Amino acid sequence: MSITAFSASRRTSHPHSPSMSGILSRLRALALLAGLLSLPGTALHAQQQPTVRGTVLNDASGEPVVSANVVVRGTNIGTVTNERGEFTLRVNALTDTIQVTRIGYSAQSIALAGRATIEVRMRAAATLLNEIVVVGYGTQKRSDITGAVASVSADRLEGRPNTSPVQALAGAVPGVSVTTTGAGAEQSLNVLIRGRNSISASTAPLYVIDGIPFNGTLSEINPNDIESIEVLKDASSVAIYGARGSNGVVLITTRKGTGRPRVNYRAYYGIQELAQKPRVMTGPEFAEFKCQRVNGGQNCESAFTATELANLEAGRYVDWFDLALRQGHQQQHDLSFSGGNDDTKYMISGGLLRVSGIALNDEFERGSVRLNVDQRLKSWLSIGTSTQLSQTDRGGMPASFETAFWSNPLANAYDAQGNLTISPWAEDLQYANPLQGLRVTDDDVSRRVFSSNYLNVTVPKIPGLSYRFNGGLDIASRERGTFYGRDTRVGSEVRGRATIENSGRFDWTAENILRYTKTVAAKHTFDLTTLYSAQSRSLDTRTLRAEGFPNDVMTYHQANIAALNVPGYDVSESKLVSQMGRLNYNYDDRYLLTTTVRRDGSSVFGANHKYGIFPSVAVAWNITNEPFWKVSSVNVLKTRLSYGSTGNQAISPYQTLAGLDDYSYVDGNGQTAPGYRPTSLGNPDLRWETTNSVNLGVDFGLLADRISGSFELYRSRTRDLLLRRTISPTHGITGITQNIGKTANKGIELGLSTLNLDRGNFTWRTDFNISANRNEIVDLYGDGQDDVASEWFIGRPIDVTYGYRMDGIWQEGDDIANSAQPSAKPGDVKVFDRNGDGQITPDDRMILGSMQPKFIAGMTNTVRWRGWEASAFLHTVQGIEQSNGLLGVNLAQTGVRRNILLREYWTPENRLNTYPANREGTNPFNAVFLEDRSFVRLKDISLAYTLPTSVANRMGFQNLKVYANGRNLWTSTKWTGLDPEIAGSSSSERFAPLEKTYMLGLDVRF
Amino acid sequence: MTRFANLRLFMAAALSGAAAVALAGCDADEMLTEKPPHIIVADNLLTDLAGFDAALNAQYAQARREKQGHSGLNDLVAIPMTVGVDNAYANYSAAELRFVNQWTNFSTPQTSVFENLWLWLYQMINASNMIINRAENPDIRWTEADKARVLGEAHFFRAWAYRHLTYLFGPVPLNLEESSGSTIKTDWERTPVADIRKQMEADLLLAEENLPATSSNAGKLTKAVAQHYLAELYLAMNDPVKAEAKAQAVVSSGLYKLITARYGVRATQPGVPFMDQFVDGNINRNQGNTEVLWAFQFAQDVTGGGSNLLRRYWVNRYNSIPVPVGTRTVTGAIAISAEYGGRGIGRLSPTAWAINLYEPSDDRGSHHAIRKFYTVNNPINGAVLGDTVKLVWTAEKWITSSLASNDPLWPSTRKWDWTDATSPERDEQFSDVPYLRYAETLLLLAEAQMKNGKLAEAAATINQLRDRAHATPITAAQVTLDFILDERSRELLTEEHRRYTLLRTGKFYERTMAYNPIAARYLAQRDTIYPIPQVVIDANLGRAMPQNPGF
Repeated sequence: MSITAFSASRRTSHPHSPSMSGILSRLRALALLAGLLSLPGTALHAQQQPTVRGTVLNDASGEPVVSANVVVRGTNIGTVTNERGEFTLRVNALTDTIQVTRIGYSAQSIALAGRATIEVRMRAAATLLNEIVVVGYGTQKRSDITGAVASVSADRLEGRPNTSPVQALAGAVPGVSVTTTGAGAEQSLNVLIRGRNSISASTAPLYVIDGIPFNGTLSEINPNDIESIEVLKDASSVAIYGARGSNGVVLITTRKGTGRPRVNYRAYYGIQELAQKPRVMTGPEFAEFKCQRVNGGQNCESAFTATELANLEAGRYVDWFDLALRQGHQQQHDLSFSGGNDDTKYMISGGLLRVSGIALNDEFERGSVRLNVDQRLKSWLSIGTSTQLSQTDRGGMPASFETAFWSNPLANAYDAQGNLTISPWAEDLQYANPLQGLRVTDDDVSRRVFSSNYLNVTVPKIPGLSYRFNGGLDIASRERGTFYGRDTRVGSEVRGRATIENSGRFDWTAENILRYTKTVAAKHTFDLTTLYSAQSRSLDTRTLRAEGFPNDVMTYHQANIAALNVPGYDVSESKLVSQMGRLNYNYDDRYLLTTTVRRDGSSVFGANHKYGIFPSVAVAWNITNEPFWKVSSVNVLKTRLSYGSTGNQAISPYQTLAGLDDYSYVDGNGQTAPGYRPTSLGNPDLRWETTNSVNLGVDFGLLADRISGSFELYRSRTRDLLLRRTISPTHGITGITQNIGKTANKGIELGLSTLNLDRGNFTWRTDFNISANRNEIVDLYGDGQDDVASEWFIGRPIDVTYGYRMDGIWQEGDDIANSAQPSAKPGDVKVFDRNGDGQITPDDRMILGSMQPKFIAGMTNTVRWRGWEASAFLHTVQGIEQSNGLLGVNLAQTGVRRNILLREYWTPENRLNTYPANREGTNPFNAVFLEDRSFVRLKDISLAYTLPTSVANRMGFQNLKVYANGRNLWTSTKWTGLDPEIAGSSSSERFAPLEKTYMLGLDVRF
Repeated sequence: MTRFANLRLFMAAALSGAAAVALAGCDADEMLTEKPPHIIVADNLLTDLAGFDAALNAQYAQARREKQGHSGLNDLVAIPMTVGVDNAYANYSAAELRFVNQWTNFSTPQTSVFENLWLWLYQMINASNMIINRAENPDIRWTEADKARVLGEAHFFRAWAYRHLTYLFGPVPLNLEESSGSTIKTDWERTPVADIRKQMEADLLLAEENLPATSSNAGKLTKAVAQHYLAELYLAMNDPVKAEAKAQAVVSSGLYKLITARYGVRATQPGVPFMDQFVDGNINRNQGNTEVLWAFQFAQDVTGGGSNLLRRYWVNRYNSIPVPVGTRTVTGAIAISAEYGGRGIGRLSPTAWAINLYEPSDDRGSHHAIRKFYTVNNPINGAVLGDTVKLVWTAEKWITSSLASNDPLWPSTRKWDWTDATSPERDEQFSDVPYLRYAETLLLLAEAQMKNGKLAEAAATINQLRDRAHATPITAAQVTLDFILDERSRELLTEEHRRYTLLRTGKFYERTMAYNPIAARYLAQRDTIYPIPQVVIDANLGRAMPQNPGF
């Protein structure tokens, strides 16, 4: 059976059954597939093709080079060397040129010149330009790349306590900013590549795992299965992802097996601790504060409720943090089996991750099995799969760090019988016990199959032509059941509350890729890739809230007898149909050209705007490959220039339609009277957001690659922003998504690797990257006006801190009566009267700072001596100014119901100019307490020891490595909020900060 | 052929993705058309009577929200219209309601409650506009009578929303169009109040004509509700003749009469007739309440049942009362119980002036209506069961206490007592709420009669209320505007939109300064109107929208 046979039989035996012809006509509708099927039906004869045998050796040591790629130049015919460095390859003719590549080595081209047996000696080189990197729809030698593509170094991936692959990106690649939006056992992270183009649409990059777009939570992917991560940044490299490319693309490639069978066991175990315990007030401090705030320091007894008074008299205080927090644990175990020969490669791995966060009951567990298999079935046909099955358990309701933060230290954590109180403060029943989560039943399990599969046909008789089908499936479910029984605050009120939330995802991707490569006259190499693909995403969510249970026995499993059952249903479905073409042209490894066009149709847009076209072009010049280049100290110099357009379709489905929400009433008999009210406006004209960008890059290697790196300059403009704009609530609706406005980004990036010392067994390397992005709103509604309601200002970054500026504190003796705040009292916040009109009005609000960093940088220093390796990774973000939510004057609430940070207050004696007096209403205009959120953090520091091979072998191992790593051990910042690395709103300041982790690990191969 | 079939199987099995595209029939345009199965839009809802009734049900739910929170349990919508006046203040005044005590400090364009109110009311206006606009579609399957009733209700709700808006903010944009994505406006103009009232008059007259006299479904609007608001509107428009006629129309309908005898679920327990109409189970007309014009419906454990915050806000924190035991005090000896009305958090309280406004014989000021003492029901730590703690409501108490008075020893109304028997500490309240009472119609009638010079008739009208409450009847000579305002407070304490009444009669500043010493510290003339929410001004990019003076 073969494709050609199939195609021949179609011609002779067609049509036989109607269904078959129907299928065929549909098949034909797929332009590329149809193109494939109508290939010349010439019968294929096994032709005499010469076989070349060879050995690939390390030039220095003479040891075999395993897993080197051996390809007939200008074709897709290729193989990989075995564990003895040997390969066998059928070539077209003995006049072909063989190209041998291997990560870490300089590429070699050998003209066979009639030889059937060759020996290739490869020179180890850490040169950026020779590594093979994954790009969209294929791989390329770094020296052939025309766009801006950055690779995450392997040491960010291995031996680190990363629960999610995203954590490996932080500080690792210039131009990529990673912010944590939520700490805990499973952290939530935001990735921003080259600044923010979009104001309202998603700014998350597109993640592609083994060629298939991934729409799920990345913490469900085992980071230890990952071989490499590439980040595509400029228009040329992302344009082939068209409508989904404008936020950048992250390509994740999982490990493949090669060489002789190998068993690898890797494990680490770490402990976690709270990095910085917030200094909230102790019981006596709280009492003093409260008396001052409520009663002006007089008659303190009357300021307290009976519970507070009793505890104060008895000297019983609660340190809620001590109760809610614990030492966390994190461990991961991975066992993998891999191997391969010319025809079959396999990698089977099982991984188990378990994180017990620093908050009591905060658990995250992931078990995964991966099966990566590549099989050559025929000389012209290979198939493969890379599939992960995983189960992620997020069950368990953590003790609430936020509630622990503000809970009254004069309340009662336990009752007289030693049980947790439901409401710690008898006189203020509003607040639940911060440890309430320990009593909540919370089951939350996700299961996922993520499978990327391919079929590759090297079309016989047409050298250089190949067809590939990629089929991706992502089938995932999340099932969550939660029950608050009568021993919790909400449960005690409603006689038990259950919530059930089950969701199912079914995403698929089908891609047909036709590729043709040809070398003409030895120096002209063409590589043409065309694509026809379709993608579908769907997520169904079913929920149930039930209240009023006869007892707490069966938790959420007895919703059928609850007094109230409120079901909910939500569905979100979107589709994308795409065509793409890309041409790479290489002249003599000196001049490179890449042009691409992609056309995407997306379901989320209006009927007249379904399709968008995204072209790009890029050129590069390998200067050092020029015959005239004689500067021997500069061994690599390459310039790149690209320009192109990309899109953003990242809005939720159904925004082109106006929607009504259910808003029901009850009739006079207590029966539901179903109701609907308008809540959103439709916009049938919604279309893409389009970003045009230009990138100029230089790759360089000096002193035989002792110094190497890349430098990038870019500028981008985004138009037709998908803007969720604030509209006057006079419409009865507060916002609508429209294509309005323009933004611009420009930036500069430098990645630099230096080998500082190389003395025999001792080496010291530095990998450094720094990047700066400037973001600006160019236009909003076409009329040059700012949108104050949304806090968007033309000529300013998208994220600004806006409000009244604090101008110190009113002091005794100031002429308050004749000021802009005549009713202020000494000790109140003085507000800057910006327009000087003698009163404080909304016109005095102003831009106070930018929440976009001035620059971000990362630096890793690695020292190696014999088997020892020590490395330290520093990460910094500089120049963010924002309001510190922990400094608000009313956080304690009226009557002092909440605990806050211990701090200094203005008094007539202590004439602070930074913070107001301890009383109500000292900051009526909510003037902003601005702080610098810059930080420098020692993100990882590690020490590893690898046993000498001879010793390891004697012990029966191939390799044995032990290591220790410390994460977040040191931070320097002026920010007085909880953690400068946790981004976001002021409210998140009261959530758990990032923890410190100390871990020990083991990596053994045999 | 076998080979052919094998290939197909192979493709389908190994490459499920390809099979999905190739075999499912890949019509790209079809594939890119959105067909959400779970979204209702106006086009597919408003096609028949049931659809229009569903849109109206949401309007009832929206009106009911006045007694709920904007966003949950902590921002009772009714506060800006009922508190910060002569007869009510904020006791435990959390951030969101501090402005009714400390006007100059906290009533600002950025105060979120104003933005919430604006949106709440314009949501209702937009929904009415949608119903009115689409009712003219000739394809709708309904009778003329159905259509008339639907239009009556829709116009009523629009007028009801503009009533709130004009009292709260003064001149506001008059929006009579259904909002759509292609007609976003950035140049709203403030329409003079007189023009808005013309529109309200037209809407209410249409509602009066089309609404039924009675409804078998408690909670539905009837003709008398439209007439009641017309009477009030004509008083505001200084047309007492028409006002009297509309109020009189309610009286003459013969459908309503004051509750003068005990009835309903607590008829045999100690109490007074006046208070029976506030007991859950007695509130609707079909439960024996002859006085209610419009009641908001609530239900526990029912979708759409909702819950209100009245008890939570108006019942004081009696569980925090320190009970004297020897030389010290015990808290918790007065425990949350159904007897005490369930759990309150004392956000709002009547002023001392309002509590002292009753003569001793007046049922409306008796301990059945206003709680003035508690007895120990939880004898802990030496407290004695049945010991009585008297509450204290002197104005002097305010002067010495801080602005956030947080006083659990202050009296509270019993009109909103209600608790979930199985969970007395529960936040929510599921009892129905009498929203509009015949008693208030009579007070509007009396006001119109007075303005028309019919003092004797006005006295007679007022005396219907006083007789029922066992208060001393008044003479025609006693009928003054201030007396009517006092009588309104006695009758409608915590019920009426007191602020609107005082604004309508031009008495807000004078009486609040005189009778509410907490608000008087900060109240200014500018506070007779609330500021336009800043977002409304900021989003009006195409035209400057003037702020109210003083903000």
